[in-house]
Amino acid sequence: MPAASHLPVAASSGSFLITPNVGLMIWTLLLFAISMYILGRWVFPRISEALDRRQHAIEESIDHAEEMRRDADALVEEYRARLRESRDQAQEIIERARKSADAHEREATEHAQQRREQLMEQTRRDIEAETRRAIQEIRREVADLTVLATEKVTRKVLDEADQRRLVEDALRDLDFSALAPGDGDRN
Amino acid sequence: MSKTKKIVLGVFAFYALVFVGLIVIYGITQHKNNEFQIQNEFKLVNWVSLGVFSINRAVVYLILATILTIGTMFWISRRMQARPNKVQTAVEVIYSLMRDNISRGNMPDSMAAKWFPFLGTLFLFIWYCNLIGYLPLPTNSEEKFTLFGAHIPAFALYAATANISVPLVLALVVFIAFNWVGVRAQGPLGYLKSLVPSGVGGVGAFVLGILEGVSTLMRLLSLTIRLWANIFSGHIIILFMTGGLAVILGLQALGWFALPAGIIIYLFELGLVATLQAFIFATLAAIYIGGAASHH
Repeated sequence: MPAASHLPVAASSGSFLITPNVGLMIWTLLLFAISMYILGRWVFPRISEALDRRQHAIEESIDHAEEMRRDADALVEEYRARLRESRDQAQEIIERARKSADAHEREATEHAQQRREQLMEQTRRDIEAETRRAIQEIRREVADLTVLATEKVTRKVLDEADQRRLVEDALRDLDFSALAPGDGDRN
Repeated sequence: MSKTKKIVLGVFAFYALVFVGLIVIYGITQHKNNEFQIQNEFKLVNWVSLGVFSINRAVVYLILATILTIGTMFWISRRMQARPNKVQTAVEVIYSLMRDNISRGNMPDSMAAKWFPFLGTLFLFIWYCNLIGYLPLPTNSEEKFTLFGAHIPAFALYAATANISVPLVLALVVFIAFNWVGVRAQGPLGYLKSLVPSGVGGVGAFVLGILEGVSTLMRLLSLTIRLWANIFSGHIIILFMTGGLAVILGLQALGWFALPAGIIIYLFELGLVATLQAFIFATLAAIYIGGAASHH
């Protein structure tokens, strides 16, 4: 084939494809070494540093956020406890007030009852005393009148002692129980 | 029929129709082209002769990748902010991937700190080499076009990692690194012994030792070939699909037919393979280095 004659034999056959080229290998090694040196020395540390810094910042902000959340939780818990406490306190106050009101009422009722009974007793005693006094008065009056009447009838004056004895005798049989409100038949 | 199904079917119908139309326009006339050899797209022509250090296309790509790797990373590293913008976020994601997944995921933290610059650079260097391989650059010095009187090399897709020398030397560095780590951690004899699983003695140990020795050597080859073959084959397929096949077979209609597939493969290579292969290379390096330090 005359057209391909100007080409080197290796080039047209294709075996150059798998024949290592020493010059190219050295170039590769050299350029790779340069790349590694520059990247390893000036590039990777900078990127790594920036990434680490960001990592730190993120960690810090997460920590901070967590701390804040903890604080907030604690605060809420505290408020809740305080609320519970005040509710309990309020309940207690109401309870105490109710109890005290009850006690007060009961006391007042008892006191009133007592007072009423006292007054009744007093009244009864007053009435009794008054009755007794009135009976005594009537008795004396009757005795005096009797003495007077007897004197007038008999024209005779009995001495004072005889007379009283007579009247007492007479009056003993008389019943004054109707005048006494309660146990009057003793007199 | 769902809406998605309708759209997919519509696209296929359109595709078939266009293909039939193209056959009608161009006809099925075939004239084989023996002059165009697709592998020559990967041929290295010395542009600047410096003996062993001659600068060719792959070297230019490597230099470009190096400049981009160092330049972008350096630029980003000087503008690291507490509140990152999108570019910084992307770089941080990549950095975390290199530091946490590639390095720390495969070796103890103390070792990861020491080896991270190596592994990180490995990933970035390969990644950039792969990525710029999908930029059409005027680097095909065999085909030239003329623009305002200047002869400019044709735009082409090429990748330094599609040349076997580049993955090979990187794999060699990894190979030396993990063997060195193994010898340092367990002593030369201890490291050799660690190749044989514990509890095996006698002839079995000998056989297994040889097998493990070979498999250790194979790591060098598998690292090299995995990266090289993936990138190379990706480029070859894109080349075929986006015109190479049509040129070789002299079938114009086929060229149009294959173009959508070529675009899809291009996107697949750019979006997945370029990154994935860099990641796999660096991760395997980390696994080998981490594994050599610990007895296994």
